[in-house]
Amino acid sequence: MIYDICIIGSGAGGAPVAYELSRAGFRVLVLEKGKEYREEDFNKDELAVSRRELFTPDLKEEQHVIYELDANKERKRYLGSEYGWSFWNGSMVGGSSNLMSGYFHRMKPNDFKPLSQYGKIEGANVVDWPLSYEELEPYYEKVEHVVGVSGEVVLHSFLEPRGSAKFPYPKLAESAVTKWFDRACLWLGFESIPTPRAILSQAGLGRESCSYSNFCGSYGCATGAKGSARAALLQKCDLTLITEAFVYKLESDATKVTKAHYYDATFKSHEVSAKIFVLAAQAIESSRLLLNSKNHFFPHGLANNEDQVGKNLIFSAGGVGEGRFGFERLSSKEQEELMQVGLFFNRSLQQWYEYKDGKQQRKGGTIDFLFEHQNLVPRIQRIFYDADGNILWGDALAQKIQKELTSSRVLSFEVFNDWLPTDECFVSIEESVQDKYGVPVGAIYLYSHPHDLAVGEFLAQKATQVLEKMGASEIRYSISSSPPPNLVAGGCRFGDDPKKSVLDKNCKAHALENLYVTDASFMPTGGSVPYTWTIYANAFRVADIIRQKLELEKSLFFS
Amino acid sequence: MGTQTRRKFLKHSFLGGAVLLFSGSRIYGAVEPLQTLRLVQKDLFPKAEELGVDSASYLLLILDHSRINSEHKEFLRNGVQWLHEESLKLYKKLYYNLSTQQRQKVLQEIAKYRWGEAWIEDLLLYTMEALCSDSVYGVNKTDAAYRWLGFRAGKPHPKRAYL
Repeated sequence: MIYDICIIGSGAGGAPVAYELSRAGFRVLVLEKGKEYREEDFNKDELAVSRRELFTPDLKEEQHVIYELDANKERKRYLGSEYGWSFWNGSMVGGSSNLMSGYFHRMKPNDFKPLSQYGKIEGANVVDWPLSYEELEPYYEKVEHVVGVSGEVVLHSFLEPRGSAKFPYPKLAESAVTKWFDRACLWLGFESIPTPRAILSQAGLGRESCSYSNFCGSYGCATGAKGSARAALLQKCDLTLITEAFVYKLESDATKVTKAHYYDATFKSHEVSAKIFVLAAQAIESSRLLLNSKNHFFPHGLANNEDQVGKNLIFSAGGVGEGRFGFERLSSKEQEELMQVGLFFNRSLQQWYEYKDGKQQRKGGTIDFLFEHQNLVPRIQRIFYDADGNILWGDALAQKIQKELTSSRVLSFEVFNDWLPTDECFVSIEESVQDKYGVPVGAIYLYSHPHDLAVGEFLAQKATQVLEKMGASEIRYSISSSPPPNLVAGGCRFGDDPKKSVLDKNCKAHALENLYVTDASFMPTGGSVPYTWTIYANAFRVADIIRQKLELEKSLFFS
Repeated sequence: MGTQTRRKFLKHSFLGGAVLLFSGSRIYGAVEPLQTLRLVQKDLFPKAEELGVDSASYLLLILDHSRINSEHKEFLRNGVQWLHEESLKLYKKLYYNLSTQQRQKVLQEIAKYRWGEAWIEDLLLYTMEALCSDSVYGVNKTDAAYRWLGFRAGKPHPKRAYL
């Protein structure tokens, strides 16, 4: 059987294409490496999900090799399994969108033209996108309605143009501590924004509303309120889904992909044929598959005759910070407000999405505020040491644990700014290391441009002002060049020039007539927001393009 | 964990084999690692027992998990050897033959070494995992630990043990 479309990967990049094409009546096949879990399979077992990482591959079986540039500009090699360094997110139907927190921000219009707006930065491969915000806006809107986004639109300096005045779902119930935050911002002249979330605040779209379980990010959603690619899209599709299918090679002739080869759970090899292939295996793994798919026509890897596949890998730059609120300075009412669990702390600052550095207009970013994750073990682990750095145990430790957990709470922040694309940050193949299938693993070459740290530092200092004004103690932050594995993009950037990009504006490989890449790989720059909303929106856009192409072929066939 | 299962586990486990001890350059004797680890867990966090949490059973359960790598298990086992050797150096007795006060002194001594600090932290972490575990794992049977921490566990709870 020849499918109309074969999609490799079922996360936020693949599922919108599956959803649109199956609803349009085409024969859709989805190949997913992970298992299928549904709402009834999810629970809040910290030990299984967070401590033993139930939903990501065991590094002994599947890993990456990481090459980090040190201060002397030399590469240090890390074998992922040896160092416990994982770049996996969620290996399951729906991918990592099952485990996301769902902080949903759109990219801003200027994010689509960073070179024109902010100028060239030495050592960075910044380019304008071949796509404008105006072209993607209807798809951001579509995601709000199909995946489900809750929030409240408020005017602020960098509010992006919107097709509708409101989000389709009202904002989620909030902790009373957000009022402390809003007051502090008012005093400081900062613009407090309720953070939009891909979480239903009321039942809709055939899904239940949020249950305020207090354990959202890193956990699968047991109500279906979280807008995962599985709950929001795939579970509503009439298509063929094959799970535990690891695609290890795409076969092609000079102009078309002809087959996808995959291993099942018993390591038996299978092949499938389709008119169109869509690759959405997550940024690093999509590049890996193309590079591992060498053949006579593409000796350096599929779609890689210009040596662009894997290049310009990016992450979200920035870092994290926090402050602690102890009972000592609070009234009994405030203490009660502070300790109320389950309700969200949805607040963001985007006032410095652009800022002046002398005369230079700089690109800034987003700061999201949230309560410290409620996982118990890491909250206790951080108390193991006293102020002098000595490890505690016995009664001293027990007293400290109880005091800090029952009479204080930590408010955290996350800074998102651009990780500039460079020649030094890319994906390759490590031929000498194979995964459990015997396939060479991906090699991740890391480098963070110094500019990224400077911007992150600027934003973190703004965030700490709010915490200070709110009366927090133990305020600290860390802006670093560590790559967050859940915020990865690039590797197959789209562009108009086939010599400098892998994909065209439609996310079709320049070199092949029927290969599309719809995960975050297409992004030449990342904007200064979490990527998921943009991945969803772009995948819906490409789905429209593919649908039109297939419908045209169908009508020509019948005429 | 049933008796039969535990016996079978111990037979194959890294905890089942004796650890050789050296005093100076001479072999002093051998100890069973599990007995030592149980006592150290009690010495490090006696509150667990008070809260009805069975840290020792949890240790057996978790160290059999596929995601706990062999290097880590080897480190825990080596720590048992080094702990006793420190005990012999200080008091010429095995750790579990010391008084409570002497055992605390040995722990304070090993905490000065990088390995000792890491070893203590690892054992504390497993105790905390036991403390935070869902009742489905059978080691935190009452809600005493949750109440002590003012903790509201997320729902739904696991229907079966995933570890």
